[in-house]
Amino acid sequence: MSPDADRSDTDDALLALYAEGDPAAARALSARVLPRVYAHAMRLLGDAAAAEDVAQEAMLRLWRMAPDWRPGEAKVTTWLYRVTANLCTDRLRKWRSVGLDEIAEPADPQPSVAAHLQNRARYDALQAALDALPERQRQAVVLRHIEGLSNPEIAQVMEIGPRAVESLTARGKRALTAILAGRRAELGYDDEKAG
Amino acid sequence: MTMKKPDEHSEDAALDALLDAARTAPPEVPDALMARVLADADRVQPSPAARAAPSSGLWSRISDLVGGWRGMGGLVAATCAGVWIGWSPPDALPDAGALILGYEAADILSNTAELTSFGWDVEEG
Repeated sequence: MSPDADRSDTDDALLALYAEGDPAAARALSARVLPRVYAHAMRLLGDAAAAEDVAQEAMLRLWRMAPDWRPGEAKVTTWLYRVTANLCTDRLRKWRSVGLDEIAEPADPQPSVAAHLQNRARYDALQAALDALPERQRQAVVLRHIEGLSNPEIAQVMEIGPRAVESLTARGKRALTAILAGRRAELGYDDEKAG
Repeated sequence: MTMKKPDEHSEDAALDALLDAARTAPPEVPDALMARVLADADRVQPSPAARAAPSSGLWSRISDLVGGWRGMGGLVAATCAGVWIGWSPPDALPDAGALILGYEAADILSNTAELTSFGWDVEEG
């Protein structure tokens, strides 16, 4: 973690400092929240270049609304997850309307993820399975099982009730299990179990 | 709740392992993205001076609104004159108190001081 992310200020406080003109606040807040924004966009889109564009736009919207931010009403991260998801939805709609053939091949995932071939295969398998889910199920599964949010937080992000969150994550996990069921040997989990 | 078969348990465990791996190894933020985000932040950040101006006190904001101390002086003088005229109106002017109490216009134009002007009725006995 970078030293900027170690600052003890809350996200709200950093955003307020940014709005007051503090030159270091943006760096500290970005170090803390941008990895989550980028990872979320990456999981929802499965495309590094598009995820970068979405993450940059979500952060720009945060900077622009900083002077009007009302501390305590919503968490900065909740707001960012929501904006990111909405931007991803727009992007996916656009892709569907232009046709998949016209879109450039997704860029490779980050080197740290692809360092080992099997990790790379697992990463791709999970991403491919996530890509096959309906959008809302994918978003709920990613927020719950990868980002580690609680159900009430997911309900706030997705603007739905807690029961709907439970339903989406349960159905999403069942669908992922079914998609990945035929690939266990290929992904090396049978070897690990045997070893 | 339905019981799961042993295979289903292992499939669930495999999925959990994949999700755990994804959680513990999130994609790293590219340096170029961080640089673009910080450049955007610099570009749209409110300046400290712009934020300081609206935070001045209520009194100074009211004073600025009416034109500084000269404007405030004029406002005070006009207010005093208005109070004096209201208290003891000249003969040529209709009595504001009579207007408020609902006297007819004709009465007002004649001398309408008997009730509303200060003590004249008593003096005239």
